[in-house]
Amino acid sequence: MLKVDQLSISINEKNIVEDSSFLVPRGKITSIIGESGSGKSMTVAALLGNLPLGTETTGKALFDGKDLMDSSTEEIMGIRKTDIFTIFQDAANSFNPSVKMERQLYAFSGGRNGDTVKQFRAKMSSILVELGLSVAIFHQYPFELSGGMLQRCMIACALYVKPNLLIADEPTSSLDRVVQKEFIDILKVLNEKQGTTTLLITHDLDIVAEAADEMIVMHAGKVVETGSVAELFARPTHPYTKRLLESRF
Amino acid sequence: MKSRKVLLFWCVVLGLIVIMTAFAGLFSTHAPNDMDMDKIYVPPGENHLLGTDHLGRDVFSRLLEGGKVTLTVAGVSVFLSLVIGVLYGGISGYVGGYVDVVMMRFLEALITIPSLILILAFQAFMQGGMWSMALIIGITGWLVTARIVRSEFIRLKEAEFVKMAIMFGTPVWKIIFGHMLRNSVPAIFVVTLFNFAGAVFIEVSLSFLGIGVPPAIPSWGNMLYYAQNDILIGAWWIGLFPGIMIFITILSINFIGEALKDPGRRRLNA
Repeated sequence: MLKVDQLSISINEKNIVEDSSFLVPRGKITSIIGESGSGKSMTVAALLGNLPLGTETTGKALFDGKDLMDSSTEEIMGIRKTDIFTIFQDAANSFNPSVKMERQLYAFSGGRNGDTVKQFRAKMSSILVELGLSVAIFHQYPFELSGGMLQRCMIACALYVKPNLLIADEPTSSLDRVVQKEFIDILKVLNEKQGTTTLLITHDLDIVAEAADEMIVMHAGKVVETGSVAELFARPTHPYTKRLLESRF
Repeated sequence: MKSRKVLLFWCVVLGLIVIMTAFAGLFSTHAPNDMDMDKIYVPPGENHLLGTDHLGRDVFSRLLEGGKVTLTVAGVSVFLSLVIGVLYGGISGYVGGYVDVVMMRFLEALITIPSLILILAFQAFMQGGMWSMALIIGITGWLVTARIVRSEFIRLKEAEFVKMAIMFGTPVWKIIFGHMLRNSVPAIFVVTLFNFAGAVFIEVSLSFLGIGVPPAIPSWGNMLYYAQNDILIGAWWIGLFPGIMIFITILSINFIGEALKDPGRRRLNA
């Protein structure tokens, strides 16, 4: 699905990410794990063409055979619009605080597919109910909802759009444990039911253990180890991975 | 909840002033420019609620008419400065980089010049009436608005929901209006209110100095200007009432602005 090859990112000639190569296989949940500042989020930003000004990238990122690093802005826009859905760290800030949820959810889901508002309302209502949310949120503002509810709204959009690749950048770090668990369960259901390929960026090893099939360990801007979760948990080879596993509660 | 009541009280006060002056014709007892030489310097009382001035004109009616002029000048100028400020600050904040640096240095250069001096200079060669007054106050009053809009735009440009919108390929105009300008409204509103109070004050000062609204048109500042001599002969009512009106108007605007500025009223992260 997604093949990243020798990706390097630098800001002002300082390397943030160096020669990262990894694979996100289709239909699986792949997790990038690493501490803060290890370059995980930067890697994602590069994939989405969302890097801050003044950054330079080299290397390739093949998405269904198309190089994301070498595409025109329009092509990337097209891919973002139809194939990739991104959930960010802090759902509370992912919504415009002065616009009611219905319009925003529509913009994030139905509007992208070209559905009418009516189609959207019918389809989204059932998704919301499925996720344990009330339809009343349509007429509420984001600040009237909790972080967990907003994150579920994001998931609802992902369920609606059915993207080929779902990127979740630290989706659970602003949620409490119970809501985290719920969120991860929803991700797994999404993956099992719809076969959504998921790239889950996190610093929480428990979440990796719970949800992911494959894992990529990043440390100081480098991919230090990749493999299946079961394998890496059983036989870590890189010292950082070992340390990471030892630091679990 | 106390601040809410305070806010409501001052809104009512300001509302009353605005309505009374806007519909001056309905409330006034005499025509504002009608002179009655038999009744000059009549103290407040029957028939003339707030007395008459040196030409026998009814102070109450002139007060309402003058308020209309003063508030119109202030309103038009604030609208003008709002438009210029939002455009200037918006461009500076949204584009960023060198454009921002150049625009901000230019703005800082302008801010260092006291606006009253600029206004005096403009007024000297425009010799204006009411509308040119509004124009002059407007084109000198946008600086603070521009700064606020710029800082709001810079803050919101980094906000996650704006990045999200960009990611989803939302058109630029939609991001600027729907996401950035829309969420700057609380800040812009407050600064515009304070600008309004400032504009009232500038109109009054200029008219008081005798270089504002032409003498034929009553305005609060004009009335104060002519009242200077009258006070010496004991006709306190001619100067007192416009003074009180100016005082209450500016006070109520400032209290409203202050109450709205209260961060507790703002939406989370808005």
